Amino acid sequence: MDNKDNFIKRIVKTRGMGQVITVAFGLIPLCIVFGILNPIFFSGQNIGNLLRQIAPILIIGIGQSYVLITGNIDLSIGSVVGMSCMISATLMTKGVNPLTAIIITLITCLTIGIINGTLVSICKLPPFIATLGTMTIARGIAQIVNNNYNTDSIGEGARGFRDFFYYGKTIGLYNTVWIAIAIWVVFNFILSKTRTGRHIYAIGSNIEASKLSGVNISATTTKAYLVSSFCSCTVGLIICATSGMGTMDAGNSYEMYAVAASVIGGVSTLGGQGILLGTIIGASIWGVLQNGLQFAGAPVAIRNIVIGIIVVVSVLLDVVIRTGTFRFRKLSKP
Amino acid sequence: MDNYIVKAKHISKSFSGVMALDDVSFNLKSGEVLALLGENGAGKSTLMKILSGVYTRDEGELEIFGKQVGNITPKKAQELGIAIIHQELNMCAHLTVMENIFLGREIQNAGVLSNHEMTKQTQKILDQLGIDISPDTIVGTLSVSKQQMVEVAKAISTNAKILIMDEPTSALTSREIDELFTIIRKLKNDGCGIVYISHRLEELKHIVDRVTILRDGKYITSLDFKETSLPEIISYMVGREIKEKFPRVECKRGKKILEVKNLNAGPMVRDINLDLYEGEIVGIAGLVGAGRTETTRAIFGVDQKQSGEIILDGKPITINKPMDAIRAGIVLAPEDRRKDGLCIRLSIRENLTLPNLDRIINKFGVVNKNKEKKLVEEAIDNFQIKLASMEANADSLSGGNQQKLVVSKWLARKSRVVIFDEPTRGIDVAVKVEIYNLMNHLKQQGIGVLFVSSELPEILGISDRIIVMCEGRITGELNVKEASQDKILEYATRFETKKEAVGL
Repeated sequence: MDNKDNFIKRIVKTRGMGQVITVAFGLIPLCIVFGILNPIFFSGQNIGNLLRQIAPILIIGIGQSYVLITGNIDLSIGSVVGMSCMISATLMTKGVNPLTAIIITLITCLTIGIINGTLVSICKLPPFIATLGTMTIARGIAQIVNNNYNTDSIGEGARGFRDFFYYGKTIGLYNTVWIAIAIWVVFNFILSKTRTGRHIYAIGSNIEASKLSGVNISATTTKAYLVSSFCSCTVGLIICATSGMGTMDAGNSYEMYAVAASVIGGVSTLGGQGILLGTIIGASIWGVLQNGLQFAGAPVAIRNIVIGIIVVVSVLLDVVIRTGTFRFRKLSKP
Repeated sequence: MDNYIVKAKHISKSFSGVMALDDVSFNLKSGEVLALLGENGAGKSTLMKILSGVYTRDEGELEIFGKQVGNITPKKAQELGIAIIHQELNMCAHLTVMENIFLGREIQNAGVLSNHEMTKQTQKILDQLGIDISPDTIVGTLSVSKQQMVEVAKAISTNAKILIMDEPTSALTSREIDELFTIIRKLKNDGCGIVYISHRLEELKHIVDRVTILRDGKYITSLDFKETSLPEIISYMVGREIKEKFPRVECKRGKKILEVKNLNAGPMVRDINLDLYEGEIVGIAGLVGAGRTETTRAIFGVDQKQSGEIILDGKPITINKPMDAIRAGIVLAPEDRRKDGLCIRLSIRENLTLPNLDRIINKFGVVNKNKEKKLVEEAIDNFQIKLASMEANADSLSGGNQQKLVVSKWLARKSRVVIFDEPTRGIDVAVKVEIYNLMNHLKQQGIGVLFVSSELPEILGISDRIIVMCEGRITGELNVKEASQDKILEYATRFETKKEAVGL
C-alpha cells in the first residue's frame, strides 16, 4: 500500500535531513553547469578522478563532523595528516614493511586524538586552544621525523601500499573511493545506531543535561577525537601513496577543508546537529567545485575565492532557512 | 520501627570556603511527599544535588534503603533508584523526547540501539502520565511546560523509588499542575518517597505530608503539614514573621503616560489596546502561552510589529528596536535576569553603567571615573542593593538583588515606563516583598509599571488594574477591587476555538 510513501516520509523526517536535501539540490545544477562548460566533466575518466578527489575530503570531513557534533572542533586534522604522511614514508624508506609502518603511524596519530580528548574533556581547555596546540606539535613531529627534509621515494617495495591506497581499482572504482565508502559506512553506523553515537549528539546538544543523565563526557569526547585522528591518519597514508614520498606540509589547512565539508553538509559548529550523509554532499560540492573550475580553466586563486563564498553562503542559507522554520513554528503554535 | 528510605545525617558541604550546608539532617519515608522548604540559598538544591550525585558531600552519612552509601555519581544514584527533576530545564534540545528519556540508559541489542523498543516504552510512560506528545518530537520544538512534563516523564521512567522534584511547577499552567499532582499522588500510593521543592507555598496543601525547613544552610525543623500553617512555615523559613506579603501603596492616579493602540505582532499579539497612567501598576495575567511576554517584547521593540501605534506622554513614538524604546524612556526587565538582563561576568559597576555610558564619558569617549562612581553609588543607594563591593561580579548577587540591579541600571536614565516580565519567578518570599516594594517605589515616583506574572495572588496583591490575555488577545480588564482569581481565570480561558493545544 503506502508503505513506500511511509518510507520516503520517514527518510525526509530524519533529523538533519532538511539541510542535506537543500544542499543536494544545489549540487545537481552545479554538476550540470560544469558539464555544459566542458563536456569532459562527465566523461567516465573524469568521474573516476572526481570521486578519488572527493574521497580524502570526505574522510577528514567525517572526522571533523564527529568532533563538531560534540560541540567541539579539531584544528589538528591537517597536521595529523602531514604527520601520518611523513612517519609512514620515513619508515618505508628505511625499509620497514608497509603493514608495520601503517600500524606505527596509526598508533602515533591516535595518541594525538587521545591527547586532544583529554585536554578538552578532562583538563577543560577550550577545544580551539587545545587542538591549536596539538596542531603545531603534530606539524613539528612531521618535520622532525626525517630531519626537516621531505623523504625520498618510498620505493618499489611499497608498490602494494601505493596501489592499496591510491592507484589500484576494485570493481571499477579506485581503492581510495572504496576506503572512503568503508569508513563512511562504519562511522555512520556508529553515529546513528549505537549508544556512543547517541551520546555524541547528546553532549553536543546539552553537556550539562548529559552529565546529569549519567553520560560519560570525557570518554565520549575522546572517542570523537579518536575518530577524527583515525580519519586524518588514513588521509595521510593516501597522500603518501599518491606522491610516493613524504612531504612535510602535506595536509596543510585540511582541518578547514574538513570544517567546510561538514558545515556545507549541515553539521552545526554549535554541536548537536548534522548527519554524515550531509558530509558526503558537502565533500562532493567541494570536489565538484575544485574539479569543475579546474576544467573550466579557472586559476587556483579564483577557485579559492569561489569555494570561500560557497561556504559562507551555504551556512547563511541554512541560518535563514532555520530561522524561517523557527518563525513558522512559532506561528503554528496555538 | 521506621520505614525511612533516606536517612541523611550531619551533611556538610562548602564551596570555596562558603558553607552551603552546615550539619544538615533529613529523612524521607516511603509513600510520603516531603516538602523541602527554605529561602533561596538555604541549601535545598545543594542538599538534593548531593543526594542525586551531582555534588559530593564533605562530611556526613547517607543511608539509602537502610544501607550506608559512600560517594555517589549521577549514574550510581540512578542505580540506587533516585531520580531528580532539576530546577533548570535539562534537556538536549536537538534530541527527540524518546532519546532524552532514555539518555544514559539506552536499551541496546548487540551493541545497536533498539529505537523501536524505546519508542514503545516512551509511549507507554507518556500515556500513563496523560502527556499528549509523540515520542519522536524534537524536544527543542516543545513549549517550556511540555518540556517540563517530559522531564517528569524521564524521572518516572527510571522506576525510581526516591523522586526529587526541584520546582517542577515553575513553568506549568494550572491544568498541567493538576495533572502533575495526580501523578504525584499515584506515585505516593505506589510507595515512592518524593521530595518536593517549591516556592509556591499555596500549592503544598494539595500533596504534602511533611515539611523540612532549612535556613542559611542549617536544618531548622521538620513538621507534619497537618499540624502547621503557612504563616508558621514562612516564619521558620525567614527567621522572622513577614507582616505583609503584598505591601500596597495607594497613589493618586495621574495623567496618562503610555497608550498602545491596535498593536499586532504575529499570532501571539493581536489587536492589543492598553493604557497606563502615572502612579499605577498594571498587571498582565494569563496562562502560559497567552502572549503576555510577546506583547511586552513587541512594545519594547524586540519583535517586529505588524501594525499599531504607541503614544508616550501624548506624543506618538516609533519603536523599531529596543534602543528606540530606551531612548523614549520605556525599559524592560526581562524574565530571565541572568541570560537577558545582566552581563553576569561583569562587575556590578560595569552592569550599572553599561546603558548610561553616554552620560559619563567625555567627548573623546573616555569614561570619567568620578562621574561613574557617583552614578553607581546613587543607584545602589536608591534601591538598597546589598552587595560586598561594586567591583564584585553581578553573578555574586542574590536573585532579588540581581532584579534590583536590572531595574536600577535603567532608572539612572529617568525612564517613564518600566515593564517587568515575571519579576519574582524563582525568588523566595522575603525577596519577593522587596521587589514589590521596588515596584511601589517606582509607582510613587510617577513611573508607569507594567508587569507580567503567572502567579495570581501576586497579580491581585500588587496591581491596581489587571489585564487578562488569552491566545494573543486581551480578553478582559478588571479593576483590582472587583477582581478575583475566578474572574481572572474565566477571562484567561476564553479560547476562540475549542481546539486543544497540542505540542508541536
